[in-house]
Amino acid sequence: MALLQISEPGQSPDPHQRKYAVGIDLGTTNSLVATVRSGSAEAIAVEDGSVILPSAVHYSREGITVGAEARARAAADPYNTMLSIKRLMGRGVADVKSLGEQLPYHFSGNDGGMPTIETAAGPVNPVQVSAEILKKLAQRGRDALYGKAGGELDGAVITVPAYFDDAQRQATKDAAKLAGLKVLRLLNEPTAAAVAYGLDRGEEGVIAVYDLGGGTFDISILRLSRGVFEVMATGGDTALGGDDFDRIIAAWIAEQAGLGSDLDASTQRRLLDSACAAKEALASVERVEVRHGDWTGMFDRETMASLLDPLIDKTLRACKRALRDADIAVDEVQEVVLVGGSTRTLRVRERVEDYFGRAPHAEIDPDQVVAIGAALQADVLVGNKSDDDLLLLDVIPLSLGIETMGGLTEKLIARNTTIPVSKAQEFTTFKDGQTAMAIHVVQGERELVSDCRSLARFELRGIPAMVAGAAHIRVTFQVDADGLLSVTAMEKSSGVSADIVVKPSYGLEDKDIARMLQESYTHAAEDIALRALREAQIEAERALESLLVALRENGAELLEEHELSELEHAMEALRLAHNAGDAGEIRLRMEALNKLSEPFAARRMDASIKRAMRGHSLNEFDK
Amino acid sequence: MATNLTHFELFGLKPVFELDRNALAARYRELQREFHPDKYASKSEREQLLAIQMAAQINEAHTVLRNPVQRAAYLLKLAGVEVPPEQTTADTEFLMQQMLLRERLEEVREQPNPAAALEELADEVDGLYRGEQRQFAETYAAGKFSEAEDSLRKQQFLVKLQSQVEELEADLFGD
Repeated sequence: MALLQISEPGQSPDPHQRKYAVGIDLGTTNSLVATVRSGSAEAIAVEDGSVILPSAVHYSREGITVGAEARARAAADPYNTMLSIKRLMGRGVADVKSLGEQLPYHFSGNDGGMPTIETAAGPVNPVQVSAEILKKLAQRGRDALYGKAGGELDGAVITVPAYFDDAQRQATKDAAKLAGLKVLRLLNEPTAAAVAYGLDRGEEGVIAVYDLGGGTFDISILRLSRGVFEVMATGGDTALGGDDFDRIIAAWIAEQAGLGSDLDASTQRRLLDSACAAKEALASVERVEVRHGDWTGMFDRETMASLLDPLIDKTLRACKRALRDADIAVDEVQEVVLVGGSTRTLRVRERVEDYFGRAPHAEIDPDQVVAIGAALQADVLVGNKSDDDLLLLDVIPLSLGIETMGGLTEKLIARNTTIPVSKAQEFTTFKDGQTAMAIHVVQGERELVSDCRSLARFELRGIPAMVAGAAHIRVTFQVDADGLLSVTAMEKSSGVSADIVVKPSYGLEDKDIARMLQESYTHAAEDIALRALREAQIEAERALESLLVALRENGAELLEEHELSELEHAMEALRLAHNAGDAGEIRLRMEALNKLSEPFAARRMDASIKRAMRGHSLNEFDK
Repeated sequence: MATNLTHFELFGLKPVFELDRNALAARYRELQREFHPDKYASKSEREQLLAIQMAAQINEAHTVLRNPVQRAAYLLKLAGVEVPPEQTTADTEFLMQQMLLRERLEEVREQPNPAAALEELADEVDGLYRGEQRQFAETYAAGKFSEAEDSLRKQQFLVKLQSQVEELEADLFGD
């Protein structure tokens, strides 16, 4: 069939061609990118050998800098240097008040409920800042995979904390979109760490992932059963990490050296630096000499243990709570995985080993383990390992509900439900002739709407006018494999589907993203048009290719002759639009083809269920 | 709905109450391997959407089949019997027994050995629950749907009592 030749010059239509995908750990303090090359996953290093990109973005009139260079400017130019922006992802203006005290920025108006920060280069929002970090990481990925030749990435897996809610996940995905990355999947950080250790190849069992970073602690309890990962429970402390270790050691030095409590900023900085150095030194020696001014003293492992133990106790209590949530006894945990730079501290390893009663995995660099797991999964998802059996099943971390009378929440989807999931709910009209209604979706475990996180308000329009109570609107809430919500609605008696206008509570609408994309280009108009065309073409190529494969597989068997020829016509029309390079026309032809191929797709689904069932007789599973 | 198959058909199981949990789990993994959206990550948007719907349906079916009370209600629905949640059983003897069990639960704390008293109570409730499950399986198989429905209502009572027992257990002995 001529339809096969839709590739452009230089692009091979060979489906077995190796694709280029990366895994990205988008962290609060540091980020990094990893990829699979010649069968093994490794973090991508830049010229100076470093793999870590500090999650810092500096804005000035001259331009934007990202990474170590940006972080170096934080002290001199705090208002224009964005640090720890991950804490603001998917957060609202109101949340900033509680978080804002730790962040020195000038917050101004808002972008679709999101806070914006004033900088020398104009106002920016957290999604845009994260997009700058992602662009830099994607560039590293392209440089490593393509070298000077240049080329595009086929996709990326980006990791997020397991407890991230819908708004935070959506914000991460929006940032990727803004950075021009195709997201294959948002993957939970602990799951990525477990994948990095190849624990998915193991037997059934429970895995605990202990993640102690600079400023946050997370514990996740996962269950593995024959290649299927389930997140059973998560917990932690968003304000506990290695930085607290440094602070408590610094306070000890200050006390030993006879310094008062009222210390200036530069003395504090020097104390923290000595504390951090001493902490790291004790990983390889029993005791270390510490100096501060005229004072010199010995700091040993025993002293450090006594200082750090109260903090480590806090993390272990969180482990205990998570195990209880998962309904798991501590001796049922078969593997423990360490993540985060602060797990290098010997005392942490000792205590974790002692608590779980087994030596934790620490063979992979704890700063890189998440990105490496993400890279392995990206390699599978992009299709480089089609025979791979690994399947990662995630759960929704927080319940989804809707607001009902009196500001109460009605839960639709309970936390820890395996995703994807969809739930339908019926609504009716209150007034005669009512043609619109609003649905407020929230996420959280509490009874009162005001105690949950507001996700979005959906307005249904175009409901046929009927007497009150006669319209039955069936609203379907769907959560995809990334944990992201979408809503569709249909009036049952008339079959009219309602138009849905989504107002995310703390996020961006599609038009906002389009606007930001525009702002980020110099030759905005042409670039946007070109990009829209390219996206439409890629989508058309995908649709044509997969339909062709499907037709070859069982077109003859499942389609009538006239259906087949209609489909071929529609495909030819799409191919012509593709080659003519008209984005609008491609979209139109695509929609037509989609509609026409719908019955075929449904029949194929049924056929594959039958195929998957073949070999099982109905009686086989009886006792 | 991505397909019109019943939950049982989707899992290749006979529409009866008793089922092999291992077969259910194995079949669940097989289906997810085939239809999980990750298997469609580099396919067209249309196919990705179908995969999400299919996987959601598989998850829903798995949730219903895995849970005995939900499975029983679903079986009745397949037989054309909708079970409104607010109705209660008319079996006064059963209701009386429930009241006594609840009273005993409330008095566990005052017992000389609360742990033993609670365990005894838990065993008794479990026994009653298993009995109702057998009752449901038999009556449903025999096509006696109103009896099966009554048994389902009793199971609902007992499940609630079980969770109250567990709550008290966590309260007394957990930390």
